[in-house]
Amino acid sequence: MAKNTVAVIGTGQTKFKTHYADKTYVELAQDAAKLAMDDAGVTPDELDAIVFSMAPTQFMGVNDCDRWATSHVWGTGKPFMRIHAGGATGGSALQAAYVHVASGVHRTVLVVGADRVAETPDAQHVLNLIWDRFYEHDFALNTVTMTALAAQRYMSRYGTTEEQFAQVVVRARKNAMGNPYAHLKGEITVDDVMNSPRVAYPYKRFDICPRSSGAAAVVLSNLDVAKEKCARPAFVNGVSAITHSVFMGDRMGVFSETEFSDHDGEHIAAYEAYRQAGITDPTSQIQVAELYDPFSTFQFPSIESLGFCGRGRAAAISDEGGWDLDGQVAIGPSGGTLCTNPIGVTGLVRVVDAANQVMGKAGQNQLPNVHNAVATAVGGSTQFFAVTMLGDDHATRGRVQ
Amino acid sequence: MDVFVIGQAVHMPAARIGEKRLEELVFDTAHAALADAGVRRGQIDHVTIAGCDELDGRSISSMLLAAPAGAQLRDEMKCTDSGLTGLCLEAMRLESGIFELGLLVSWSKPSTAPLEDVMRMRCEPFYTRPIGLNMAITDALFAQAVGEKYGFDEFDADEAVLEAYRRADRNPRGIGHGVPAMEDIALSPYLAAPLRREHQAPITDGAVAMVLASAEWLKRNPNARALAQVAGIGWRNEQYDLGSDRLAGLTGFRATLDDALMMAGLKNAAGLDLLELESQTGFHELAFRAALNGNAPKDISTSGGAFAQNPYFCTGLVNAAEAVLQLSNNAGPIQIPRIKRAAAHGSHGFAQQGNVAVVLERV
Repeated sequence: MAKNTVAVIGTGQTKFKTHYADKTYVELAQDAAKLAMDDAGVTPDELDAIVFSMAPTQFMGVNDCDRWATSHVWGTGKPFMRIHAGGATGGSALQAAYVHVASGVHRTVLVVGADRVAETPDAQHVLNLIWDRFYEHDFALNTVTMTALAAQRYMSRYGTTEEQFAQVVVRARKNAMGNPYAHLKGEITVDDVMNSPRVAYPYKRFDICPRSSGAAAVVLSNLDVAKEKCARPAFVNGVSAITHSVFMGDRMGVFSETEFSDHDGEHIAAYEAYRQAGITDPTSQIQVAELYDPFSTFQFPSIESLGFCGRGRAAAISDEGGWDLDGQVAIGPSGGTLCTNPIGVTGLVRVVDAANQVMGKAGQNQLPNVHNAVATAVGGSTQFFAVTMLGDDHATRGRVQ
Repeated sequence: MDVFVIGQAVHMPAARIGEKRLEELVFDTAHAALADAGVRRGQIDHVTIAGCDELDGRSISSMLLAAPAGAQLRDEMKCTDSGLTGLCLEAMRLESGIFELGLLVSWSKPSTAPLEDVMRMRCEPFYTRPIGLNMAITDALFAQAVGEKYGFDEFDADEAVLEAYRRADRNPRGIGHGVPAMEDIALSPYLAAPLRREHQAPITDGAVAMVLASAEWLKRNPNARALAQVAGIGWRNEQYDLGSDRLAGLTGFRATLDDALMMAGLKNAAGLDLLELESQTGFHELAFRAALNGNAPKDISTSGGAFAQNPYFCTGLVNAAEAVLQLSNNAGPIQIPRIKRAAAHGSHGFAQQGNVAVVLERV
């Protein structure tokens, strides 16, 4: 149990698109910071500290770009630190800000970040550089081929088909139509996904997220500030971020503690966050899940890791509409990462969208009676897993509906 | 804060640790810290990492290094500012109440990284990158600004460097540069006026790990010994742009130290017995001492600071480790008698854009 209650009292995000020719990186970050502060009703002077969310800086081309952004996000003269966990960065940054407040060291903290993934001509070339120089660079490993291997293994274990993955894309693009900030959206069909150009089996182009530019921010506070500033905050009731080995081969087979293709660490992180939040029956207690799903193949192992169904069952439930907005749990009402992936802040966007659902501020995408929402972030070689539980009540955590 | 250091390890520094890969350097240091604390990795409930992708030469360096740092299947978080910032984050994680026993690991192997190229790429692309700003030039701008404000000149910097080397020479954990002749410093080539090459602390490879525990964990494990208590933490960034106020004001240094001192219940640095400064040049040493405004502790940078070893990025955390050694009476020939409170300082970014301070107390 944390010493101090922590709440989301304001959120902000820019529209996401491939390029922002009219804004610099730091101006994007500033836009999101301003939106979140305005939403929270706080001024820069009321911010005690800043946590900056940014993954590899090679995408946008300035080393340690958070230092450049310091003044733009009103961080000058304040405690300021940057968190980086690859794709899980936004989730981890939120959790770093959480301990700023939960520890009692600070009262009000801004988490902010931006990314411009398409600044580099080929993001997947940069993502090849995450691998070992001696053994792995020459394998053409990048995040597409890496996760394609995991997807093949998942298909082999559970009999999931490409068409079932395609249905995930169809649902995400449709959900994103109600999200004014989403990068990709629209009515497409399973055939559209199946007929898009093959990239790496089982992926076709539509199975893969876009390279997005944009920014996001969240204002966290302690209970006293939340009471003063926000009529309906989203309380951060559980946090966990589990890290696994980089070596995918060590995470499968009879000698492995866990199974790589199942998003092994995500299950551990989820149940620790649930324990803190008092969630004992995720399917009945959680109404919304905003998942880090940059590939269509990520949803099913994530859904199963979060305990919404048993291993290998998510695809069949998907076919029946169980993960639709009116299903047993609404998966990615925002359209999720498949539609928008500014890597350095994607995990934070997941928190923004989940918190907005709890706070009743999700606009056209708002679902009724959202009391608990979970946000995830995944990074590295599908090895960093951050899970954050948000709820409308910190006192009666995880109440059964 | 109810946060205690119960074990630590500092890898023996070298100008180039060539016999180990980076993951071996990290593993050996993390392993040694756990052994020093007398705990197994399985007891650790979280790991905090402080590392720099650009110096490590990998886009997400913690992918490879988290497991050697002890984080496999553990709750792990990484900050990229400095090793000492990692200690602040780790202290907050324990203080939050959701963790009890953590491992903090930070490393730097700049011998394999083109440091000034990494620094040059910190420049934003519109104004500072085209003019070729780098670490030496920004440090020289800092030297000009504080020299003008406080009346230092190159000779004063020469003396400060010589004195730092003398202190470092007594520290058995230093790299053993020896004490140079005055003329070797004073006549070394200019990098950017007024900064000469020998005004800079030599960069080394190194790594630091600490095991930290909550008060609750210590109560349940009475056989564990606390080496020191984290009493106060502070960290602040100043603006990126290098105006004269930013360079000469030392606002961030003062405010950061004040934050940590206030949390520890101290009015000013005079309440400390020791302050270990991260002074990357002789001008920094002079400037930081001047910024204390006469409220200096009796002992400053007894270890020799960056002139003893300087694994750029985690030098501030080496300072914290030195402070812990002093507070636990394990500092060897440089032990300060009856020491009760010590602070470690770290800095990062162009011309110390970021400052970090941690106050530690004897248990």
